[in-house]
Amino acid sequence: MERITVKIDGREIVTSPGRTILEVAVEHGIRIPTLCHLEGLSDVGACRLCIVDVRGQLVTSCTTRVADKMEVLTGTDAVRAYRRTILELLFAEGNHVCAFCVSNGGCELQDLACELEMHSVTVPYAYPRHRVDATHPRFLIDRDRCVLCGRCVRACGEVEGARTWNFAERGSQARVITDLDVDWGTAASCTSCGKCVEVCPTGAIVRKGESNGEMRKKPEVITRLKERRTHG
Amino acid sequence: MAKVRVATMWFSGCAGCHMSLLDIDETLIDLAGMITLFNSPITDLKVFPEEGVDVTLIEGAVGNEEQLHLARTARQKSKILIALGDCAVTGNVPALRNGMDPDEMIANIYGDKVTSNGALPYEAVPHLLGRVRPLAEVVHVDYFLHGCPPPAGLIAKAVLALVAGKTPELAGPDLKFG
Amino acid sequence: MPSRLEVLVCAGGACVSSHSREMREELGKRIDAHGLAEEVRIIETGCMGPCEHGPLVLVYPEGVLYKSVAAADVDEIVREHFLKGRVVSRLLFRSEEADRIIREKRSIPFFEKQMKIVLANCGAIDPESIDEYIGANGYEALGKAVTSMTPDEVLAEVKASGLRGRGGAGFSTGMKWQFVRDAKSSEKMVICNADEGDPGAFMDRAVLEGDPHTIIEGMTIAAYAVGAQRGYVYVRAEYPLAIERLQIALKAARAMGLLGKNILETEFSFDIEVRVGAGAFVCGEETALIASIEGRRGVPRTRPPYPAASGLWKKPTLLNNVETYANVRHIILRGAAWFSAIGVGESKGTKVFALSGNVRNTGLVEVPMGTTLGEVVFDIGGGVPNGKRLKAVQTGGPSGGCIPVEYLNTPISYESLKQLGAIIGSGGLIVLDEDTCMVNLARYFIEFTASESCGQCTPCRVGLVRMLEILNRITAGEGTMDDLDKLESLATAIGKTSLCGLGQTAPNPVLSTLKYFRDEYIAHIRYKTCPASVCAAMFVAPCESSCPANVDVPAYVGHLANGDVEEAFRVHMEHNPLPGVCGRVCYAFCETKCQRTQVDEPVAIRDLKRFMADAASEHGLGIAPPAKVKPEKVVIVGAGPAGLSCAYFLTRLGYAPVIHEALPIAGGTMATGIPSYRLPRGILAADVERIEKAGVEIQLLTPVADVEELFSAGARAVFAATGAMDGQTLRLGTPSLPGVYAGVDFLKAVNLEGKTAVEGDVVVIGGGNSAIDSARTARRLGAKSVTIVYRRAKADMPASREEIAEAIEEGIEVRDMTAPLGLVGSKRVEGLRCSKMVPGEFDASGRRRPVAEEGSDFVLPASTVLIAVGQQANLDLLTKAGAEATADKNIAVDEASMMTRRAGLFAGGDVTSGPSTVVQAIAAGRRAAAAIDRYLGGDGIIVREARVEVASRYDESEYAKERERAVPPLAEVEDRVGSFAEVRGCFTCAQATEEARRCLHCDRAQDEESGVREAGGAVASRAGALPGD
Repeated sequence: MERITVKIDGREIVTSPGRTILEVAVEHGIRIPTLCHLEGLSDVGACRLCIVDVRGQLVTSCTTRVADKMEVLTGTDAVRAYRRTILELLFAEGNHVCAFCVSNGGCELQDLACELEMHSVTVPYAYPRHRVDATHPRFLIDRDRCVLCGRCVRACGEVEGARTWNFAERGSQARVITDLDVDWGTAASCTSCGKCVEVCPTGAIVRKGESNGEMRKKPEVITRLKERRTHG
Repeated sequence: MAKVRVATMWFSGCAGCHMSLLDIDETLIDLAGMITLFNSPITDLKVFPEEGVDVTLIEGAVGNEEQLHLARTARQKSKILIALGDCAVTGNVPALRNGMDPDEMIANIYGDKVTSNGALPYEAVPHLLGRVRPLAEVVHVDYFLHGCPPPAGLIAKAVLALVAGKTPELAGPDLKFG
Repeated sequence: MPSRLEVLVCAGGACVSSHSREMREELGKRIDAHGLAEEVRIIETGCMGPCEHGPLVLVYPEGVLYKSVAAADVDEIVREHFLKGRVVSRLLFRSEEADRIIREKRSIPFFEKQMKIVLANCGAIDPESIDEYIGANGYEALGKAVTSMTPDEVLAEVKASGLRGRGGAGFSTGMKWQFVRDAKSSEKMVICNADEGDPGAFMDRAVLEGDPHTIIEGMTIAAYAVGAQRGYVYVRAEYPLAIERLQIALKAARAMGLLGKNILETEFSFDIEVRVGAGAFVCGEETALIASIEGRRGVPRTRPPYPAASGLWKKPTLLNNVETYANVRHIILRGAAWFSAIGVGESKGTKVFALSGNVRNTGLVEVPMGTTLGEVVFDIGGGVPNGKRLKAVQTGGPSGGCIPVEYLNTPISYESLKQLGAIIGSGGLIVLDEDTCMVNLARYFIEFTASESCGQCTPCRVGLVRMLEILNRITAGEGTMDDLDKLESLATAIGKTSLCGLGQTAPNPVLSTLKYFRDEYIAHIRYKTCPASVCAAMFVAPCESSCPANVDVPAYVGHLANGDVEEAFRVHMEHNPLPGVCGRVCYAFCETKCQRTQVDEPVAIRDLKRFMADAASEHGLGIAPPAKVKPEKVVIVGAGPAGLSCAYFLTRLGYAPVIHEALPIAGGTMATGIPSYRLPRGILAADVERIEKAGVEIQLLTPVADVEELFSAGARAVFAATGAMDGQTLRLGTPSLPGVYAGVDFLKAVNLEGKTAVEGDVVVIGGGNSAIDSARTARRLGAKSVTIVYRRAKADMPASREEIAEAIEEGIEVRDMTAPLGLVGSKRVEGLRCSKMVPGEFDASGRRRPVAEEGSDFVLPASTVLIAVGQQANLDLLTKAGAEATADKNIAVDEASMMTRRAGLFAGGDVTSGPSTVVQAIAAGRRAAAAIDRYLGGDGIIVREARVEVASRYDESEYAKERERAVPPLAEVEDRVGSFAEVRGCFTCAQATEEARRCLHCDRAQDEESGVREAGGAVASRAGALPGD
């Protein structure tokens, strides 16, 4: 098997081509923050939080494949500052109100604020108005807390095969919808499998009946499901 | 050593941050020897001392004209300004009204839904701002204490550091919202 | 039988929208009616280029080009031209400089500097006829490629040509082809990106509409070279004509075996399908475009893999832009060497630009790479219309940047524009004049990209909206200086971290305007003004905003429209105490921004002011001195416009100022420099007297020798308004001779010392108002001849257009493009040696720098030479007092406090700004009065009453329609020469009222839906409010 050598943060790593920078880094215990990435789903590089520096160029580590003699820096001052800006933009875009969220304490976005040392949001908050869709008997979506990572869309399409979730509109109007933008409860294609709930990194798509701070998600079920399907 | 001059203020918020401040237990006794507390909901003093203070902690978001004015005064009168808790840091719950028309809201709550002696609070009460803002959107803020409320230990850590003339080291779990 | 005449009617999108279809129909009817159907053939072509002048008709064999041809003009063309052979000259192009008619297309300046390769067939053949295309060597390149060249040879030729992608990025076309050719796959794709979406860009549309076969041929050759079997043209749905013509062309090509199975009976097969895009800007990005063709949501994906490796349906895909493909057949036919000889550096061939914005000849142009921006804007574009100045050129659409006027000599290439922070992009080139607000422009582009962002990645989706909010705040006058840093850091972060080209380049308009026009951002934030008078939230109306003294024009014009002179006068005096003077000599910046221009002509504001001033004098209107006088003593040095204005406004603030004036008359340059035929002495005296009566003491013949003496005599503050009274000299070879004077000295001698006669030939050097004043004065004093010598073109003269025209009427000769070299004469001047000048490179002001034409020297006989090339200030008095001088030899003052380095010593007007206008000096005096009040403990507020909108007492709707601007009477030329009586007359009362009613009331808030401006609807005071509330 072909072997290549890459340098991540000064560490020489021998690996095989075709793998992403993120995979190689994770394997070697190098932490790169992610949000739209989930092991088991395809990678789109949408949230941009996993950017790393490859010879002065910023690339998303979840979509960029390693190459021989590639030099990667995962945590330069500039990279960290850009990640923080992106995180601030995500917080500014929604109404997260962590204190009153079922996912409080179990939210990837909340954790990222700690990890990336985001002291405050330096751009004005948008305070958008969104409608909460609680028409599904077991689940609900609060788009105030959606970060548009698209994990629900990919899990639904790639793993469940239902394609209930998709994107509608564009730019700041972009949002996830069920079927052709009908109430979730009436979306005919939904199998109510709950994968979207488990993969949602925030308190946007949640189970009904969970109380403040109670919701704990298990995105790793997708990872394991995918592994079992691939390796039997 | 001269005592550090401290003020605290309560804007649009639930007073939970002040409760948390009082929750620092015996540290309060240590603090009492190190600080002089001026205007604060705790002392019930309303006005800043002429010569200003070293540190002001503000709980709550900026929701009405009086709070906007007070925030600006606080900035002028304080060497260090701290946003205390999620409402001051992000707008949090009070900001959920953003996007609604304040006049309509007031009419609804104090007018339509009142069965006796209904009167719209326009004369004596400060006008609501068009939207509720985090403190840092209206004045420069030096430190942010996250949490709803910020844990007592975090408040103690930050205040003790400042009293000792040091920069509070806020990192990792200290920055957890909610 | 070939026709006697071929008549080409432009059916490009622009001409169609100006009704060329109807005109063509009429043309057919008239030709039939005159029995010419056999002799005259009508051909509908694609875009000819000069879209501004459409519909266009080109008649061969002569090559006569008619412009703006309406259906009603057709009969005349048929009868005169087609039947009698007489060209209809009223429909021909005109040369601006030479004022002559141009018959033939090839001699029209618009076409002269162009080189048409991509657009060769556009406007020359019928795009719906494959025969015509073949007649123009069409499909010859394809034949050559598939029958006599191997794919590798084709590829080598394209590589050697140096062609680069015309879609914007400028990647080597040959390399791209090579990647696709090298990719291993049994199936490959060729795509033409025709999703042209940049605001102001219409290059691709023109090619698709005007010469669709070029694209088919280019794509087919590309498919042959890379080994592809299927092709797609992705066109936006907004281009229905392009789609229609493309479909016709595809059908025709298939029918002739030029497309489809076994092309030209070879083994090579290739076919093309048209896919219509739904208009999302982001679908111009190649991966989004591919997703869209595949029927998925049109959003980009991360690269690599590039489409060359894995593109449409994961097959290796070649994706080029329309213009790139349009070059291919020419390269194959004429060879790489021919192509690479055109252009500059690494940028070969030509580039098509869609020229739009504030330029005379908007339209489509094609120039060799390396042509300078200035040549495109001025030589081809015809320059900026309406006498406005060029400010910048915006290239590359929303991904591009603004190039300021200083860089007009830049040869256009991928590298040069990138270096300037812009890009060639797909070829949009928007010309921006002085009335463009660069902050608003940046805001516009961010608004565009924010709404066109696909919303997939965080920085572009959220960041652009946050940038837009900041820009909205700044243009609403609510920005802070921190916002600039925030903008810059957000812009950088979005550019660095976005997923695709849209987000990566979207911040460019902000970054480039921040780089070149930061001062405009600062003006919006710090001074709450929009220098171009565009951002309406910050001013009462454009006229008020553009007035240096911020006179409330809509209010006083409104009062005049109601017939209320007294109120009008009162409003005017709140900002400007010299209405009589300004009603005559003001540059009227207000009129240049008057929105009435959009209906017909600007309101005659200056003439209205003059009417108001004269009426006010007649009625003895005045302003009372302050009831209670403040004790602080303020002294003003100099009774020019700045000094008088400062003194007057100090009385409004409660002071009793004293002016020290060295001359025996008050007025400064207004008295010494401006001739009385423009500004009668009595008018100036009336304005001055009114100021005195308001509480100002003027001490004439009181020169100040030492400023410190004023302070020791009790002055708490001194305002120095000593002006710029010394004439600048020219180095004219020999030392000065008798008979040579500075223009200012000459005028002063006439105005003050009673000089009454000039003899012989007078030559005036210069192009400003003082040169014109000198010349017209000399003419009145009996000079035999008066000639003005100016080294640039007449259009570049800084003097006002009216003044120049009146001077010429009075028999004064203006020799422009003529530079003085030296004086001739021994005891007294006998002549001026001059050289003819020709336009050279562009200078930083956007004008062509004149250069001497070799061997063109000549001597202009002159017994008097007046040098009027500028004035300068004498700084000794103030520097001695401790004030600092600037590098430009003016006095330095703090911008906000107007104070010099010496505490208590203020300065303003020409002595700090260099020579400028009366109204600018008045504004400086007013600002100084406020600054002095603040210095002495006041608040500096001159007008305390809130602005009141004037309600009309007449039916406004009657005046909304087109209505001619009133013109006051002018004295007859024969009466003017030899007399110093005032040239310009005054409106009658009725005329003034009618003229004032032409005002459109821009000061009123406009109802967004109906567009109606209602009195009383203006934005309420926002004190204490926050942006966004």
